[in-house]
Amino acid sequence: MSAAGSLLGLSLKGLRRDLRAGDVRALFVALVLAVATTTMIGFFLDRLDRGLTRQAGQLMGGDIKLEQSDPFADDLRTTLRGAGLTLSDQVDTVSMVSRGDAFQLASLKVVDAAYPLYGKLRVDLGEGIVERAAGPAPGSVWIAPRLAQLLGVAIGEQVQVGQRELTVSGLIDREPDQSAGFASLSPRLMMRLADLDATGLVRPGSRIEYELLAKGPPAAVAAVGDLLTRLRQQGVEIEDVRDDRPQLGSALTRAQKYLSLSGLAAVLLAGVAVAMATRRYVDRHLDTAALLRCFGASQRQLAQLFAWQLTWLALAASVVGALLGLAGQAVLLALLARFLPLTLPAPGMLPLLLGVLTALAVLVGFAGPTLLRLQRVSALKVLRRELDPLPASAWLVVAVASLVFGALLWLYSGDLGLAAALLVGGLLALVVLWGLGWLLLALVLRLAANLGTRGGDLSRALRLGASQLARRRQASLGQLLAFAVTFAAMAIITLVRGDLLSAWQTQLPADTPNYFAINIQPGEREGFSAILDQVADTRSALYPMVRGRLTAIDGRPAREAVPEAHRDDNALKRELNLTWRAALPESNRLVAGRWFDAGTPVAAGSVPISVERGLAERLGVGLGDSLTFTIGSDSVTGEVTSLRDLDWDSFRPNFFVIFPPGVLERYGHSYITAFHLDAAAHGDVLGRLVAAYPGVSLLNVDAILARVRELLAQVTRAVELVLGFVLLAGISVLYAALTASQSLRAHESGLLRVFGAGQRLLSRVQGVEFALLGFTSGLMAALLAEGAALGVYAGWLDLAPRLHLWLWLVLPFGGALIIGVIGHLLSRGVRRQAPVQSLGLLGEG
Amino acid sequence: MSDTRETHAAPASATPTLEARGLGKQVASGDRQLTILDHLDLCVMPGESVAILGSSGAGKSTLLALLAGLDTPSHGELELFGTALPALDEDGRAALRAGRVGFVFQNFQLLPTLTALENVMLPLELTPGRGLESRARDWLGRVGLGERLHHLPKQLSGGEQQRVAVARAFVTQPELVFADEPTGNLDRDTGSAIIESLFALNREAGTTLVLVTHDPHLARRCQRCLRLDGGRLVALERDEVLA
Repeated sequence: MSAAGSLLGLSLKGLRRDLRAGDVRALFVALVLAVATTTMIGFFLDRLDRGLTRQAGQLMGGDIKLEQSDPFADDLRTTLRGAGLTLSDQVDTVSMVSRGDAFQLASLKVVDAAYPLYGKLRVDLGEGIVERAAGPAPGSVWIAPRLAQLLGVAIGEQVQVGQRELTVSGLIDREPDQSAGFASLSPRLMMRLADLDATGLVRPGSRIEYELLAKGPPAAVAAVGDLLTRLRQQGVEIEDVRDDRPQLGSALTRAQKYLSLSGLAAVLLAGVAVAMATRRYVDRHLDTAALLRCFGASQRQLAQLFAWQLTWLALAASVVGALLGLAGQAVLLALLARFLPLTLPAPGMLPLLLGVLTALAVLVGFAGPTLLRLQRVSALKVLRRELDPLPASAWLVVAVASLVFGALLWLYSGDLGLAAALLVGGLLALVVLWGLGWLLLALVLRLAANLGTRGGDLSRALRLGASQLARRRQASLGQLLAFAVTFAAMAIITLVRGDLLSAWQTQLPADTPNYFAINIQPGEREGFSAILDQVADTRSALYPMVRGRLTAIDGRPAREAVPEAHRDDNALKRELNLTWRAALPESNRLVAGRWFDAGTPVAAGSVPISVERGLAERLGVGLGDSLTFTIGSDSVTGEVTSLRDLDWDSFRPNFFVIFPPGVLERYGHSYITAFHLDAAAHGDVLGRLVAAYPGVSLLNVDAILARVRELLAQVTRAVELVLGFVLLAGISVLYAALTASQSLRAHESGLLRVFGAGQRLLSRVQGVEFALLGFTSGLMAALLAEGAALGVYAGWLDLAPRLHLWLWLVLPFGGALIIGVIGHLLSRGVRRQAPVQSLGLLGEG
Repeated sequence: MSDTRETHAAPASATPTLEARGLGKQVASGDRQLTILDHLDLCVMPGESVAILGSSGAGKSTLLALLAGLDTPSHGELELFGTALPALDEDGRAALRAGRVGFVFQNFQLLPTLTALENVMLPLELTPGRGLESRARDWLGRVGLGERLHHLPKQLSGGEQQRVAVARAFVTQPELVFADEPTGNLDRDTGSAIIESLFALNREAGTTLVLVTHDPHLARRCQRCLRLDGGRLVALERDEVLA
């Protein structure tokens, strides 16, 4: 057997023997936890992400949607099919539909046999609503109930579409790919592509949109990426489900970030547990290392021996953790099955790899520097027990752990800037906490001294417990920091969850507007408003709307002035909806500049305007820049005097550009508003509105709203389960840390026993010590959690920062309770031990 | 007491197992230097058994640490198996010890999580080889613990633990065994039994033995007795040992 082989064998044997030791078990559990949590979240997010992409695909009608005003060429179809994509052709147009004397503008959706690529249609074919995986048969149409009402047509009767008569065979309840585009404002009529030519609607000059929808595995979608880029440059409008997830908005992004954050918190907690268990592991192996030195082992051999031992442990933990993670994500998905309408893709391999990598990284980062102590042990220690090598410098341990954790942050967040910021912030926080802990311990010591030497058992216990804690300054500081980080991580995950959920709830309250009304003429404004005031639960203001095209920026043609990457921005290709308003609209936030002052004089040449921040960034426009809009044959120039943030998920009218009153009034305009109406209670009101204001288009967004709510519910479940997991990880850290300090406490209580302390006093002394430890670390954790939450909210989750005063009560007292109870229970055995045993007065100590 | 310095007691032709000349060790104590060993000379030839006597605090353990290469001298020359120790670094000294030097400690130094058998196998596992376990079993049998191979140290009495340590010291068939107060933690009867087996194994294997003790009775069983006094070694006649 070679020397290296013999070392490997020895390391395996050593590990097998070591499995009896508490610290090795704690190490194992911590690593298993790190791997299990990261793989669970990784597997889950990976599958959820792919599942949600698919769901978004359903909302869009396919994974890719190409749109242009001419029919698509056949060779494009061949290429897309060749890449493994399934295609569906669709034509959208608006046309008059009639029956007898009744005429109504309808939004035509002309579909082929492959429609719908995703999901099913809900349609009433005369005997209640059923689900169908295909559109109407050739020769027939399905229409929206409102169109049936307006035309007075029933199932089985005929309607005239262009030059063709088609039979109404169903009433549409829901389209799987219902979108909120303005084309769908008129009531829907769905017919087959085969009937289109006969209608004669396709004529030169008619406003027709050709859509080509494609569905396929992510690899196939990715494979045509270059082709899509080329088509985009040629003017084809393309939506890619990976880039444009309509309606899912910020909620999902935040949820994913939250889950990743939870995963990282679990890794951090496991790291702390690993660091604590490693200290005990090293302490316990110093004698072994010294003996091996005595028997002739070199430093290198020692380093290899222990490194191998822990590598075996990490690999075993990875296997167990990955299996647990796999089971965990299956449980997670099973719990969510009711909410997940789709079968999710099978778990991929990447999360597994990441899990193993995480275990090894945690081991190297959190155990490495501490382990180095073993190879520095002197053989002389066998004769002089007190000759322990100096513990690794706390700063080195923290620095290495931080670097590795920073790398993991980077890996998981994919954001180097964020990882670096969190890391630097974290290190600063540690320095502050270190100082604070030091001060708090000094304070505890002074308070203990002031308790005096008199008094009963209880005050004696207080004095002894407090001074024991404070005098062991280095060890106590280490524990304080570890517990503070643990509590803070648990608190942040809880906090963020609460704020995330309440942000979602306030984002979509029950009375979120479910109808948009557009095209309200100035003369209809007051009457319409009066009806809404009577029946709507909530309503937004009526916003005037003028359509204008952005033609110049600072006097240069707009397309040339914007950064190259954004020359295809929709804002440059389409007319923008402009509005005017004296006050900042609801759910808008001013982020730069000043809102229009009351009575701002409006000069003829230049007008103050307010622009949405995202648009301003894309256009490369800032305060003081001027934008020129062409409205009809006129042009209006405005100077950007403020930037706003909008809440795009608010289901209220939002505007990129707002003018002050007094500029746009002279142009043709109509009004838009959003309101919430309980259709079950006020169904007749809708009919009245439609009848009284035939020109006004009502757009119902209930279906979209329901989807978003459903999605939030799913994600909330996942968030809560993951929170539970992180809390569990935190408690296991506390357990590991308290177990690790057991021998020291045994020694102390042994001495106190020798000096005559009874079990009752010992119990109280330890109780006081643990409770103080918990209380102090809770205080430090509250500070850390507030600081970290501030950073995470502002920098990552895009939530408004807020203070959480309850933290300052719950963490210290909760900490005292948790550490007090766990510590006290764990030390029960120690207190019962006879001093000979705990002091090692006989044989091996 | 003869006033001679310790000198060679074996034929000059053989390489001494251990040879120290002008060996000294000072340690810092506060702001001054404390001399523990002062220009000490010693020569131990192969197969010899040498006892080093001294009162508590005389520096016996320091000397043993230097001789075994566990620590470095402040000055002087020191050779183990003909190799100058001060010239070697810690790893070099460890390599020199590997398989050639055995130890018996006052506090046994058994690893609590290892069984008796595993403790004895430990030094063997550092060097490649076969049949490690049977060799370890064999040596445990020789010290009378053939039936307790799989007991953990805490399941063994103090005497039994020291016998495990003795077996461990001899299992690599070393050329030199250092014993540091091997009976210090044991009662007289148990101690005697340990000493019996230590000397028996020493004789059988022809090992060189350096025994550090404060017990004159124990010291008398060695071929040569030296007393550590004032940082130097002084040879004792056999009848002086108990004086």
